Amino acid sequence: MNDLLIAGGIGVAFGWALECAGLGHPPKLAGQFYLRDFTVLKVMLSAMLTAMLGVFWGGRLGLLDRGALYVPETYLLPQLVGGLVFGLGFVLSGLCPGTSCVALASGRIEGAATMLGLFAGVLLVGLAFPAIEAFYRSTPHGPLTLQRLTGLPYGVVVALVTVLAVSMLAWIAKWEARR
Amino acid sequence: MKFVRQLGISALALGLGAPFAGSLQRTQQRGLDLDSIARAINEGSDHVSARQLARWIRDRRSGLRVIDVRSPAEFHDYAIPTAENVPIDQLAKAHFAPDQTIVLYSQEGAHAGQAWVILRSLGVTQAVFVPGGLADWREEVLNPRLPANASPAERAQIEDLSHYFGGTPRIGGEQGGDVASAAQIGRGSRRRGC
Amino acid sequence: MRPLRPYAEPHITGVCLGLVLLACFALSGQGLGASGAFASVASGVVGAVSPETAGHSAYFQSYLQDGSPWTAWIVVEIIGVLIGAAASAALAGRTRLTYVGAVRPSGGKLCAGVAGGILMGIGAALARGCTSGLALSGGAMLSVAAWIFMLALFFAGFLAAPLVRRLWP
Repeated sequence: MNDLLIAGGIGVAFGWALECAGLGHPPKLAGQFYLRDFTVLKVMLSAMLTAMLGVFWGGRLGLLDRGALYVPETYLLPQLVGGLVFGLGFVLSGLCPGTSCVALASGRIEGAATMLGLFAGVLLVGLAFPAIEAFYRSTPHGPLTLQRLTGLPYGVVVALVTVLAVSMLAWIAKWEARR
Repeated sequence: MKFVRQLGISALALGLGAPFAGSLQRTQQRGLDLDSIARAINEGSDHVSARQLARWIRDRRSGLRVIDVRSPAEFHDYAIPTAENVPIDQLAKAHFAPDQTIVLYSQEGAHAGQAWVILRSLGVTQAVFVPGGLADWREEVLNPRLPANASPAERAQIEDLSHYFGGTPRIGGEQGGDVASAAQIGRGSRRRGC
Repeated sequence: MRPLRPYAEPHITGVCLGLVLLACFALSGQGLGASGAFASVASGVVGAVSPETAGHSAYFQSYLQDGSPWTAWIVVEIIGVLIGAAASAALAGRTRLTYVGAVRPSGGKLCAGVAGGILMGIGAALARGCTSGLALSGGAMLSVAAWIFMLALFFAGFLAAPLVRRLWP
């Protein structure tokens, strides 16, 4: 029960933040792919950076048990193909699974259409699963992280990603100011 | 806009500070913490049975690292699937991440137990060893004797596990089992979420 | 059809979103998610309509095996998202405009929305996550899976964008 209360609370905050950023507005999301509107990248990079730094420093200061946090497992091929298919769908609908709910909640019918499609999509995969199971489970690498892949210390990878993300954001800001 | 720039600068500062944060890391104290060792031994949290290890390997338990502490020649001869070879004299040089579960085994179990103490003294607390070593692996996993009073479900489980690693269960009498091939991809590792 | 109040500054909102994600990590041990909720509900529906079909598919099974799929963590979280987004939009006065029908999307756009949803559903199921669950949460944990997914997503997006330019004038 307590667990579900947390889930609900986190969800409310998540939805609130997405709506505030305007990520329930399909043209805004699609605009990213036409380099008109960089909200998606800005929000994603800042959020990831915040969470990454928070996890790193929280772990280092003993506030957070990093070992207990879930790291997604890597399945190279399915994730590569999944990402490509997902990207196609993203441009078509101008929404992603989370933001489709936001779009619906702020009164946009597109949100409901995309949610319907998403539902059909996972249903299709589930029904066809016996046929694609071999592919689904191919090329497994376990919970692989960048630090384990590169052999660099955790802190160095964090620093590299930070520099990359901040310079990307700074570059976007500069580019937008020039236009 | 100024606030955003400040955010960016603080992110950079925190990020660039990360590689130097080693000293802030919770101290991995070297030296033996005798109390916690005694407690782990008493509780039995220092070891894991061969059969349990087999289930972990099959279910692709995340962060699992199986370490064979025998010599490379013995390792080459036969090893538990997915295991890596770290001979006991190399153990101090190996690196173990805090989020890994390390399982040590040797031929009969004694060396693995000693390796466990070595790792403890290096501050690695997330290690366990297989008490019966490879001998147990053969007896319990590859060629298990099916207990006569076991329920059909129990029998099926034991048989499944044995077949998964390419062994053959013994029914009653002696029956030599062939040695396992390498384990492949496990089934059904459960994950929740998006 | 400008919204009554403009959207918040994206970087600052991003930092807030990051803090929400961090709180989620601290409280539940895992990140945010979205597509998992669809999969869980789909599994629940299939399980209710035809338990046999659900039994044949390890994908549905994985969502059915621990507890009711209707009250899974991630489903409750998505219900929260709906409530939070609705509240935020209403408080900022961004709801009404879209409700009155000033921006009623064309049929073609709705079809594109459904088609995009289907593709994203398939992609998210194969990749075991979506933009929030895999790219964002996994990215923060420096997971290789998240970075592969993110690169593939943007690659495909930029590649396909010129082809569907008509949709986004």
